[in-house]
Amino acid sequence: MSANIKRHRTGLGGIAFAVIRPVMSLIDIPLRALQRATGQGGMASFFILPNMAVFTIFVLIPFAINFVYSMTGGIEIFLNQRDFVGAEHYRDIFTCGSYLDPASCRRDGFWTAAQNTTLFVILQVTLLIIVSLITALILNRQIIGRSFWRAMFFFPVLLSPVVVGLIWRWILQRDGLLNFVLLEAFGAEQFNWLTDRTAAFAATIGVSIWAHMGFYTLILLAGLQAIPKDLYEAAEMDGTSKSRVFRRITLPLLMPNLIVVLVLALIKAVQVFDEVYVLTGGGPGTSTMYLVQYIYEKGFASELRNPGLAAAASIIMGAVLVVLTLMQMAASRRNEKKGER
Amino acid sequence: MGRITLEKLTKSYGSVEILHGIDLDIQDGEFVVFVGPSGCGKSTLLRQIAGLDKPTSGELKINGKLVNDVPAADRGLAMVFQSYALYPHMSVRQNLAFGLENARMPKAEIDSRIAEAARMLEIGDYLDRRPGQLSGGQRQRVAIGRAIVRNPTAFLLDEPLSNLDAELRISMRAELSALHQRLKTTMIYVTHDQIEAMTLANRIVVLRKGNIEQVGTPLELYNRPANRFVAGFIGAPSMNFLPGSILAVNLVDTVVTVLGEETLAVPRPAETAEAGEKITVGVRPQHIRLAGPGEDCIGAKVTLVEALGAETVVHARVSTGELLLAVLAGQHALSAGEDIRLTFDAKDLHLFGGDGLRIAGT
Repeated sequence: MSANIKRHRTGLGGIAFAVIRPVMSLIDIPLRALQRATGQGGMASFFILPNMAVFTIFVLIPFAINFVYSMTGGIEIFLNQRDFVGAEHYRDIFTCGSYLDPASCRRDGFWTAAQNTTLFVILQVTLLIIVSLITALILNRQIIGRSFWRAMFFFPVLLSPVVVGLIWRWILQRDGLLNFVLLEAFGAEQFNWLTDRTAAFAATIGVSIWAHMGFYTLILLAGLQAIPKDLYEAAEMDGTSKSRVFRRITLPLLMPNLIVVLVLALIKAVQVFDEVYVLTGGGPGTSTMYLVQYIYEKGFASELRNPGLAAAASIIMGAVLVVLTLMQMAASRRNEKKGER
Repeated sequence: MGRITLEKLTKSYGSVEILHGIDLDIQDGEFVVFVGPSGCGKSTLLRQIAGLDKPTSGELKINGKLVNDVPAADRGLAMVFQSYALYPHMSVRQNLAFGLENARMPKAEIDSRIAEAARMLEIGDYLDRRPGQLSGGQRQRVAIGRAIVRNPTAFLLDEPLSNLDAELRISMRAELSALHQRLKTTMIYVTHDQIEAMTLANRIVVLRKGNIEQVGTPLELYNRPANRFVAGFIGAPSMNFLPGSILAVNLVDTVVTVLGEETLAVPRPAETAEAGEKITVGVRPQHIRLAGPGEDCIGAKVTLVEALGAETVVHARVSTGELLLAVLAGQHALSAGEDIRLTFDAKDLHLFGGDGLRIAGT
């Protein structure tokens, strides 16, 4: 302790210490009085108050307003100019001949977007986990330039989604880099990567994986590195084949990380919007129109604006996200319990 | 059969050589302990034998068969790791069965081996628990059980008791010794704890900086250490080393003077030393006693007294500044700062030349 004080009293640290100390002493007096009055529990509440205030202003209140909006009709912005319509938007959304056939639904755009999003989530999350896992397994080995490759795979995570969308649009558009390379290398004809329905859908999945896999790879890599080396050596002594080591040791021990990756990736995939909006604008047609874009366009962008419907759609999507979040919490709790055992 | 032979075995990582030409012959059924300070290469040596690392040069033979290029699993050895290395997501039973399933052994045979190991190690009650639900001692038994079920040619044990508390370590030590007597399988045990080495081993291999310093039975090492390092490493507390010189080498004894104060005739003739040569005289703390009236002695001032009840450990400084440690039997009313007179018998002295090696013949 005395060594620390000595260090603070020399050089720049000493000056800072001399300035901070009287200020801290001044704060100390009211804080002590507050603690006497409220007890330690009260102090904890006092300290989280600023955070709660921000959370309330920017999350809870908008959420409540959004819910009220979903019960109103018209194109007006101000609530006092809007008519109360009750659950009409929800009824509208859920009025369907068959949920699997968007054309049979009163709000077919919502169900098209929901169907696209579901397919996107299933394919993107599955491929994302597989690719991230393979990358993490490779990066966990003693390969040349390991640190470089780790940085390379993480780099796209640092990019803004709009930048990601733009980069890939330049690559994939008709006169883009990919067609240029294919033409130069193989003399291939130009292909409409972003205007062919299947190719555009695949492109949104591929770009999304490219943009996010670095983050999930990092989580899985951390999990792989946390598996004790001794276990692999014990398995080697036991004559375990590589595939069995992966199935019986690596995968089960990586499961906590895989669950985290799965749930985070699911939530992120449901929310997909910005990079896809820049890349394809939801097209061709509605083939890459996902839920958030539907909500955005219904609320703000389309000519037939319907903020109430957009609010109702976002509440439904919010409910899906709450379910996914609860899944994550349950999975984390189960892992914690496992860890305690 | 579990004979393991190492011939001029070396191991290098990059340009750094860790093991420098190890020659060692371990007989079938022997309990051999590799002992040495941290970084001496004992675990590295064990890993070469296990097949977890490949020697840089030299030959490694198991039962006469060269196994340098044989994978770990095919060497017929089983290893017990310092961390136990139990699979945390599997039950004890699954941990024991894992290696046998790899060998595609019939289920009935697996069950019978597990039952036998569980009976032997008294782990039958928690076969369905996971390692995380077991105490350190129970985990250790499971780790040993996993080795036993494989029915190996030899057991390799890498500091298996170092994660246990002192009391449990003593009881597990006794159990390991009993297990070896029951199984009569070759065991190679790595430790830095010389008490474990002394109590468990048929033969001890003392390693330092990647070289074998001495191989012998525990008492050979204790009674006739080959050099100053072994003398200092084996035995607790460590041997005292004092400057001395040879006064005369006779047919039946060697006359030495210790600290220039006490002259003694060591009843063994030095073969390679001459009168006048400067030497180091080693004497174990247990061989030092308080001098009686009229006895040749060394004067010292007590610096610390540790009364352990059955014995008293006295730290004392002699006139030339050397610190001397004496373990005196029984209880003694000594205190720091007191002047005492210490002595020892000539037969208990160990004589080391300037090169640190034991002087031949002594």
